[in-house]
Amino acid sequence: MLAGARESGTEVVLLSGGTDLVPALRSGERRADAVVALRRVQELRVRGAGADSLTVGAGVTYTDLVGWSLSPGLARTARVVGSVQIRNTGTVGGALGSARPAGDLLTFLTAADAEVLTASPSGPARLPLARFLAGGPAPGAVVTAVRLARPGGPQTYLKIGGRQAAFPAVVSCAVLVDRLRRSLTCAIGGVGRLPARMEEAESAAAGDIDWATGTASPAAARRFADLVTAAAARIAPALPVGPRESAEYRWHAAGVLAGRAFTRCLLPAATPDEPT
Amino acid sequence: MSGGETYRLHVDGFPRTVSGAWIGDSLLTVLRDALGVTAVKDACEQGRCGACSVLLDGRLAASCTVLAADADGARVVTVAGLGTVGLARAVRATFLAEGAVQCGFCTPGFVVAVTDLLTRRPDADADELREALAGNICRCTGYGRIIAAVQAVQRDRAVQRDRDAR
Ligand SMILES: Cc1cc2nc3c(=O)[nH]c(=O)nc-3n(C[C@H](O)[C@H](O)[C@H](O)COP(=O)(O)OP(=O)(O)OC[C@H]3O[C@@H](n4cnc5c(N)ncnc54)[C@H](O)[C@@H]3O)c2cc1C
Ligand code: FES
Ligand code: FES
Repeated sequence: MLAGARESGTEVVLLSGGTDLVPALRSGERRADAVVALRRVQELRVRGAGADSLTVGAGVTYTDLVGWSLSPGLARTARVVGSVQIRNTGTVGGALGSARPAGDLLTFLTAADAEVLTASPSGPARLPLARFLAGGPAPGAVVTAVRLARPGGPQTYLKIGGRQAAFPAVVSCAVLVDRLRRSLTCAIGGVGRLPARMEEAESAAAGDIDWATGTASPAAARRFADLVTAAAARIAPALPVGPRESAEYRWHAAGVLAGRAFTRCLLPAATPDEPT
Repeated sequence: MSGGETYRLHVDGFPRTVSGAWIGDSLLTVLRDALGVTAVKDACEQGRCGACSVLLDGRLAASCTVLAADADGARVVTVAGLGTVGLARAVRATFLAEGAVQCGFCTPGFVVAVTDLLTRRPDADADELREALAGNICRCTGYGRIIAAVQAVQRDRAVQRDRDAR
C-alpha cells in the first residue's frame, strides 16, 4: 500500500505512538491522505533476548524500556525521555522514523552499533543503523525492530537541554564499555544532523583503560573529554545555531557530557548503569 | 484508514460514535470539537503542557499526541470519568483544600496525572512526584501548592491504610 501510494502521489504516513506525527499534522507541518496505524500490531511490541543480542520491536514504548534489566543503558536512556505522557506513548520505531539530531534513543543506538530490521514489499532486511539513517528506509519499508549486542560492561547516557518533559535534548551523549572486546564506544547527538561516533576518542580510551580492572584515571577522563570536544567541532555540516545554542556551546557541552559519562563508567567511585 | 470513516470511542464509560472527522484529527480535537467533552483542556497541542491528559486504556497520555482514529475501541478516561469516590475524589478535594487551583486551566490534566501516579506509586517521594508530574505545566501556582496537595493525599491515604490494616 505504501509503495503503491507513493507512485500515485497520495501521502500515506506510518503512525506509531503519534507524539511527533500528530502535533505535526495539526500544525500543518506534515500532510496525510491516509494513515497506516502500527500501534496495535502486537508483533512489533515484542522485546527479546538471544545469546548475544537484544531485539526491541518498533512498537515498544519508552515506558516498556524503563525497567528493562537486560539493558540498563537502554533503560536509562528511556527514563530521561520527555514526560510520563510522552514515554507512555512514544516508541522505538517513531524515534527511528523521526531521526532527531539529538534523539535520545538514536544517540544510544548509534553508540551501540545497532542494526535496524525492516519489512517491505521486497521482503525483510537488516542493515546497520548508520546505513539506515544515511539512506532512509527503502520506499514502502516499515521498521520492525532494532537489534543490539547484550551489554558487555557499564553503559550510560547523559543529555543537556531545556525542560526535559517538553523539549528534546540540545546535546546528548552515550558511552558503552565492552570489557570482553576491550572497547569503548561513544556517540554525540545535537552537533550534526544525526548523532555521530567519536572514533578518535574511542581508540584513545581503549588504550587508557586498565582492562584488568575495567577502570581508568581522571587524566584519561579529561583527555577523553578534550578529544570529544575537538571531534564535535569537526562535524560537518553542523546544525543551524539558535540564540542559546551556539556551535561553541554544543562542542563544549559534548566534551563535558562525554567526560562525565566516561567517569561514571570507568572511575571506581562512580555509579554507572551496570548490567545485572 | 483514510477519509472520514466512522469509529467508536469509549469516553468516560460511554460509547461514542465519531463520523466525518478528518483522518488527521487528534483525540483532543475530536473529544472537544466533535463530542463536546470539555473536561480535556486545549493549550499547546504539542504534547508539552499536559492540559489535555487522559488515560488511554489505563495509561496516561497527552490526547493532543494521539490520533483519534487510532483510539478506535480504546477506553478514554478524562477527569470527568475518574469517578466520585476513592483516590480521584480525594485528589480533587485536596487540590481545592490546599490551594493547588488558581485559574484552574491545568487542573483537569493534573488531577488525571496525579491519580495515575498515586495509583502506580502511592509512596513516591517529593523528587519522584516532581519528575512524574513534569509533563503537566501550571502557569499560576509555582507547583508548591500542587506538590503539597499530592503529599496531603499521600498522608491521608497512608493513615487510611494503617486504619484498614488494624
Ligand atoms: C513534548 C515532547 C517531548 C519529547 N521529548 C523527547 C525527548 O526527551 N527525547 C527524544 O528523543 N524524543 C523526544 N520527543 C520526540 C518523540 O517523542 C520521539 O521521537 C518518539 O520516539 C516518537 O515516537 P512515536 O511512536 O510517537 O512516533 P510517531 O509520531 O508515531 O512517528 C514519528 C515518525 O516516525 C515514522 N514512523 C513511526 N513508526 C515507524 C516505523 N515502524 N517504521 C518507519 N517509520 C516509522 C512516522 O511516519 C513519523 O514520521 C518528544 C516529543 C514531544 C511531543
Ligand atoms: S494541549 Fe496536549 S499537551 Fe498541551
Ligand atoms: S492553576 Fe492556572 S495554570 Fe495551573
